[in-house]
Amino acid sequence: MLLVPEINEVEVRFISKMLSRLVGEMNAEVCDQCGKCSSACPVSKEIEGFNPRQMIAKVSMGRLDGLLKEDAIWTCTTCLKCRERCPEDISPYDVILILRNLAYRAGYSYPAGYDDFIKGVKESGFISRPQAVRGRGGVKVSRADLGLPEVSGPGDMAKFDGVIEGIIRAGK
Amino acid sequence: MRYALYLGCTIQSEQYGYEASVRETLPKLGVELVDMKGASCCGFPALNSVSKLGWHYLSARNLAIAEDMGLPLLPLCNGCHLSFVETKHFLKEDPELKNIINMNLEKEGLHYEGSTRVVHLLEVLHDEIGAQGIGEKVVKPIGGVKLAAHPGCHAIRPSDLQRVDDAEDPQKLNSLIKALGAETFDYPEKIDCCGSQLAVASGRTTLKIAGDKLKAVRSYGFDGLVTTCPFCFKMYDGRQRAIRGALKDDTLEVPVFYYTQLLGLAMGSSPDRLGLQMNMSPVDGLVERMTE
Ligand code: SF4
Ligand code: SF4
Repeated sequence: MLLVPEINEVEVRFISKMLSRLVGEMNAEVCDQCGKCSSACPVSKEIEGFNPRQMIAKVSMGRLDGLLKEDAIWTCTTCLKCRERCPEDISPYDVILILRNLAYRAGYSYPAGYDDFIKGVKESGFISRPQAVRGRGGVKVSRADLGLPEVSGPGDMAKFDGVIEGIIRAGK
Repeated sequence: MRYALYLGCTIQSEQYGYEASVRETLPKLGVELVDMKGASCCGFPALNSVSKLGWHYLSARNLAIAEDMGLPLLPLCNGCHLSFVETKHFLKEDPELKNIINMNLEKEGLHYEGSTRVVHLLEVLHDEIGAQGIGEKVVKPIGGVKLAAHPGCHAIRPSDLQRVDDAEDPQKLNSLIKALGAETFDYPEKIDCCGSQLAVASGRTTLKIAGDKLKAVRSYGFDGLVTTCPFCFKMYDGRQRAIRGALKDDTLEVPVFYYTQLLGLAMGSSPDRLGLQMNMSPVDGLVERMTE
């Protein structure tokens, strides 16, 4: 494994800096628990128990551990409505994404799909590779069939993969 | 108008209708698209959730390639666009992070300065070419059709970063739809999320969120839905059959288009050149009406 020591430190510093910027001043006084985030949230409407307002309350009380182990942090659609609507400039969205980073690093469970994404990126530079796709009439069509140019990826995949490996695995 | 064309993962691996219609229409409007060599994923869907640094690395690396080309970067996906804008913002605020990223970019023979301008397709069409300029190229106006605009979350939010349109009242896509001769009007769910980014964690909820919006669109009497985001399109078009199943509603049929497909039809291109055979929603009726 190609561990880049500076990255390790920086990644940790970066995450904690972002978390403290977002949450540091965000004590119970700053988040007035108005619930504008939750009422704008499309997931709160569908999944009982998914509640950005409550997540912020827990984070501001320092109750991170439970949150990190909950599935809830992985079910945000990243729609950004909470960040847009919060009257106190708190961004539940950013807090949730940082909690995901922390949970991943701490080795807690996360949706398996992320492993596939990472694998794709490390192997080809992209999540997915060009495929022949079935159209409405049932016929499979490739990029070439449509006259689309061939796709290029990172020139030196070994170098690219080495850098990505070092960055992603840092701190794990 | 010359841009480095950034396709990103979803478009180049499966959303061919979008890419084909962009390549067919933009050059006719005076836009030169230059393909990038060595590009990669922007990092937003893959890494933002698990490695913030990895995400910024991938975005910076594509920005660095565009910097080398000396061209503004045109990503076609809302998510990629936000990703590049946000990374630029972070690296400007944090020179130390920029250094670390550059130390790693160096290993790939790249360097990030932060000078690349990032442009959204809606900005090229609306702000640079303009609704009037587009109207002038329309040879087959799309008359008598009511189309719902779906700009997509990542194009308009968060307003504290440079975004494409107003966060609460986006109008650019509406005015572009009108430029083709079609009708459009605002509806309460217009700025609501398609739910696609939840697919990795909960497929059922994703279908419910997307289905509720399609139902709303139908209830207002729209003949179809228009977007410029590959994730939103994939949800509403590619997964429409699955949505019907999840909502147990066989009648939920809404034609879904990329804006550039409609633009191409209005400019006289054939449906095949616009990849319209790839749309999975029932677009045939509308396409026939528009091409007759
Ligand atoms: S909208 Fe902001 S202030 Fe209101 S509950 Fe949510 S995080 Fe707290
Ligand atoms: S970004 Fe996530 S938490 Fe915030 S409103 Fe959207 S789905 Fe809810």
